[in-house]
Amino acid sequence: MRVGIEVGGTFTDLVAVEGGEVRIAKVPSVPARPDEGAMAVLKAAGLAMEDIDDLVHGSTVAINAVLERKGAKTAFLVTKGFRDLLALQRHNRRQIYDLFYAKPVPVVGQRDTFEIDERTGPDGGIVKALDTQALDGALAQALGCGGYEAVAVCLLNGYANPAHEQAVAAWLKAHFPDLAVTCSSDVTREFREYERASTTTIAAYVQPVNKAYIDRLADSLRAAGFTGRFSIMQSNGGRLPAAASAGNAVGALFSGPAAGVKGAIRQAALAGYRDIVTLDMGGTSTDVCLVNDAQADLTSETEVDGLPIRVPALDIVSVGAGGGSIVWIDDGGMLRVGPRSAGASPGPACYERGGVEATVTDAHMIRGAIRAQAFLGGAMRVDRDAAARAFEPLARHFDMSLEDIADSAVRVADANIVRAIELVSTERGRDPRDYVLVPYGGAGPLHAVRVAEALGIATIVVPPNAGVLSAFGLLAADFAQYDTMTRRVAVDAQAPGRVRKIYAEMAARARAAFAAAGIDAEPAITFTLEMRYVGQAFEVQVPLESEALEGLRADDLAARFADVHIQGYGFGGADYGACEIMSFRVGALAPPGELPALREAEPSQTGAACKIFDGGEWRCGALAQRAGIRNAGGQPGPALVEDATSTAFIPGGWHATIDLHDNLVIERLDLP
Amino acid sequence: MKLVFPADQAVIAQGLVAAAREMGVKLIRSAYSPVVREASDCAAALLDRHGNVVAQAELIPMQLGSIGATFKPCAKLFPPETLVEGDFYINNDPYHGGQHLPDVFLFSPIFLDGALIGFAATVAHHLDLGGGAPGLNPQASDVHQEGLIIPPSKYNHARDWSGGPLERLIRANIRVPTQTIGDFNAQFAANFCGAERLRALCAKFGPGTVDAAMAELLDYSERRMRRAIAQAPDGVYYGADAVDDDGIGDQPLPVHATVTIAGDSVHVDFAGTSDQVATNVNCPFASTVATALTVVKSVLTSPDIPFNEGSMRPVTVAAPYGCILNPKPPAPVRARLTSSYRAYNAVMKAMAQAVPDKVIATGFDTTEAICLSHLGPDGYRISLEIFGGGYGAGPEQDGCDAVDSPMSNCGNVPVEALDLEYDFFRVSAYGLRQGSGGPGRSRGGLGLIRHYEILADDVTFATYSDRFRLAPQGLFGGEPGQCAATRVKRGNQIIDLPSKCSFALRKGDVLMIETGGGGGYGAPESPGAA
Repeated sequence: MRVGIEVGGTFTDLVAVEGGEVRIAKVPSVPARPDEGAMAVLKAAGLAMEDIDDLVHGSTVAINAVLERKGAKTAFLVTKGFRDLLALQRHNRRQIYDLFYAKPVPVVGQRDTFEIDERTGPDGGIVKALDTQALDGALAQALGCGGYEAVAVCLLNGYANPAHEQAVAAWLKAHFPDLAVTCSSDVTREFREYERASTTTIAAYVQPVNKAYIDRLADSLRAAGFTGRFSIMQSNGGRLPAAASAGNAVGALFSGPAAGVKGAIRQAALAGYRDIVTLDMGGTSTDVCLVNDAQADLTSETEVDGLPIRVPALDIVSVGAGGGSIVWIDDGGMLRVGPRSAGASPGPACYERGGVEATVTDAHMIRGAIRAQAFLGGAMRVDRDAAARAFEPLARHFDMSLEDIADSAVRVADANIVRAIELVSTERGRDPRDYVLVPYGGAGPLHAVRVAEALGIATIVVPPNAGVLSAFGLLAADFAQYDTMTRRVAVDAQAPGRVRKIYAEMAARARAAFAAAGIDAEPAITFTLEMRYVGQAFEVQVPLESEALEGLRADDLAARFADVHIQGYGFGGADYGACEIMSFRVGALAPPGELPALREAEPSQTGAACKIFDGGEWRCGALAQRAGIRNAGGQPGPALVEDATSTAFIPGGWHATIDLHDNLVIERLDLP
Repeated sequence: MKLVFPADQAVIAQGLVAAAREMGVKLIRSAYSPVVREASDCAAALLDRHGNVVAQAELIPMQLGSIGATFKPCAKLFPPETLVEGDFYINNDPYHGGQHLPDVFLFSPIFLDGALIGFAATVAHHLDLGGGAPGLNPQASDVHQEGLIIPPSKYNHARDWSGGPLERLIRANIRVPTQTIGDFNAQFAANFCGAERLRALCAKFGPGTVDAAMAELLDYSERRMRRAIAQAPDGVYYGADAVDDDGIGDQPLPVHATVTIAGDSVHVDFAGTSDQVATNVNCPFASTVATALTVVKSVLTSPDIPFNEGSMRPVTVAAPYGCILNPKPPAPVRARLTSSYRAYNAVMKAMAQAVPDKVIATGFDTTEAICLSHLGPDGYRISLEIFGGGYGAGPEQDGCDAVDSPMSNCGNVPVEALDLEYDFFRVSAYGLRQGSGGPGRSRGGLGLIRHYEILADDVTFATYSDRFRLAPQGLFGGEPGQCAATRVKRGNQIIDLPSKCSFALRKGDVLMIETGGGGGYGAPESPGAA
């Protein structure tokens, strides 16, 4: 049996699959001790521990350690002259009109930062040699009495030659064997010192917390009789064996959103769709990700709490639009939705837990898209009258009926989601009409069709158990590791040879890292070049298949780059100007073995009729469930399709079917 | 006028703002000019068919209102109704609505089925536009020595660009044509992207509805601005500050601001300000307007009011013709921010009397430009960096440390990026300047230090800065921040340099930059007192 356990802010979800059978469980999370929630959901699912072969876990432990500043006491070692690197940051402001602006607060303060007299050059040459004996004095004393648990080392140009960082690490190991040491060259070998230092210090800061958590959970599982394979989800959409992940905390910061994307890719691919846009709408935010040929893009430009993290993560864009987003009128009289959210507590007005402001969920109740008796499979009480009370002042302001204002609020929320999808599609030169929309999360399937309509998308695939798809996605994740390195290579006659050499070195290193992580499979290697025109400051990602390396020519490299640049920015070309490679990224991937199908959890029955307000009028629609749609051979809109974890809305002009994999496939009826 | 359904209005407004933002992002990400890509010294906007800025990507405050100001002289000479597909307006003339010469404005008309529906506009600070010295000519005594002036003009992209006469003319007059022409192309590409987005909105909602929604968006921003201004107490308020000197003499150049808040409008008058000078610290009137708007916007209004022509309506600005804030041609204007910041400070001090809890003390508030150039075997290598210092303290919070000054938003260039690009210098230290923030109930922000080891002979250093003599004052009993300084260590000798100069550096020199701190807020001895 294979089990995915996803710890979220409100709920801990479990999906267990074996053969054709699927089990789902949901328990409240235990924010202070997430491992207790994980053990509780296993118990709630009634699984026999010895039957579990494969357990994959995703949690918010690492990211919460940063957000709540509950990481280890960390010292930071930096090149002489640059002690204030973390405080200086990039010298710009995020809010340009905020007079009381304050910078994001780094996880290591200035008093815990120490300088080392050394300098490496950009070509890896040594400008000023490191004298480790000089460290024995003041630095040894400071580290000895500072009460530190971890040390981060990030030296200038350490990406070009890690020798000095390694020498410092060796010195630390000899003098302070109990300190957990993290060198920048082990975390990210890309240039730009502030971003690399930020990544390294955060990695060092969360490392002990993350390791203690994983060790504790592994112990609990073992004590309960679990003997199977235990993996941890990573931000890059892959998984790592728990023991290896315990040593790589920074790689798991964004594992939650990544798991859902993996689940969506897998379910859509079963239905034959490989170019998709994922849409995960929860209570406070919506995450979207663009997927080409069943591969989500990776980005190294992520951040947590305003602090940059340069470790590859799935390129997911998040906007503050969720079911709990508050509907309001600003002082200019414009109807607004979000970014403020009622969140899980107090939650929407219809929850009757103290929330009185109108939210998107309340709007859905008023317009009949969420039915009180069916919310979360009937497991949670919600009140339509409370939703109506919250919307009354808004209706009065615009002199509209309650259902009209609710419908308007949903349209504005839809537009927020459309914006998010445009950020990952049109803004990067991709046409959303070439993609299939895959919604999940509690609220995604309610908005998906109208969002698709706005973007010209003709097909929507709603996976089974859409509300807990992230937990399933854990099981779909490959074993994966990525390595990035800055090496400036001009695209000239020598370039192909240099690229081949760098590929060989990085691939060998990736294979070795894979083996060291305890993964006994031969990985497939991916290779991506980060390129730009000489003189630009930002790179674009140019994938290169390993088969293309053999006969690679310089003009071939330039042409591949030019294509990507034109697609992204609308100008460029092979003869436009000289280009260069700045960084290389190698991925090592191995599938976790055959994955059983995700089926709709509960047997369903056909429903009755419902009334829903949409597009300015009340419409009679069908109330359907997947089994009924399958039996009937299809379902035209308007209709609501309910299951235990979410509700999908099919407006008129659209038609739904259930495919062989229990996906709800909604397609636009072509007008004559 | 046609009424737009509330949800349509919200969705179209979002679409317009998002389109302008996308144009800005594309411009920054594909730009060569470090001033654009690292400093976001650029702007992008969608205009209605009359040329009103409807939505603008908010990148740096200095470009508030600048797009409308440069559009008008173009439209006056070449009326919009005469434009055809592929035409564009271009303008960088400080004496026809422009800022300074490196800021080149491009406007592309947008057509749908042959009808003009609006304009897409971008402005970018180009690395070098010719003139008397690479990147920056601190010796310029008139605007002609500062670079190529492109007066308000109309050209056609197919005919005049991409190898056409205009591109060839510009290319022949600039030092780093590949990069600069590349940045023009990035501007055109961003304009075409904005045009596509506006056409898509019109296709969906109908051009009539979008046109009405644009007009309502202008009114909406105006309403919100007026509502915010109306909450400030009516009155006539006064503030003053001064530029250290003009770079030749040692006399301060005073700036005076009288701010009149009356109901829901604000009038700012700079009467009494110093006459224009012979060096480049003169500030063109469009930059002066942007400065006054920025203070009003930052102090009084919520940051989420979309900036457009409507939000400018409640604020009027006047400055005597011939003063440093409204110079006559051909005064040089390259370092306009120097005077602009003193206008910023003077207006802020005036506002402090009206709304003491919403303002901050005077900060370093100076754009310190550091230009290192070297003529090597492969041509010119130019490094241009911009530094700020400490922000003024606020009523409840210390001033931000080592950050770009309020009218601008430059990132620093990573030391590792400089190491990769330039072999004639190396940054050997970069840190906070301890003790530089003015004490107070809240402390002023700290300035920064940056040291450059010079690795070759014949390196030219050019700079403009300010606050080397006149420290930023504290507010309500707060103490002043430290002044800035630039020094060169040559062997055992320390050479003090003035704030505005150029200087020949030798191999082995260490150039030492210290920027100023911000002023404190409230008397330091009375923590927590009102």
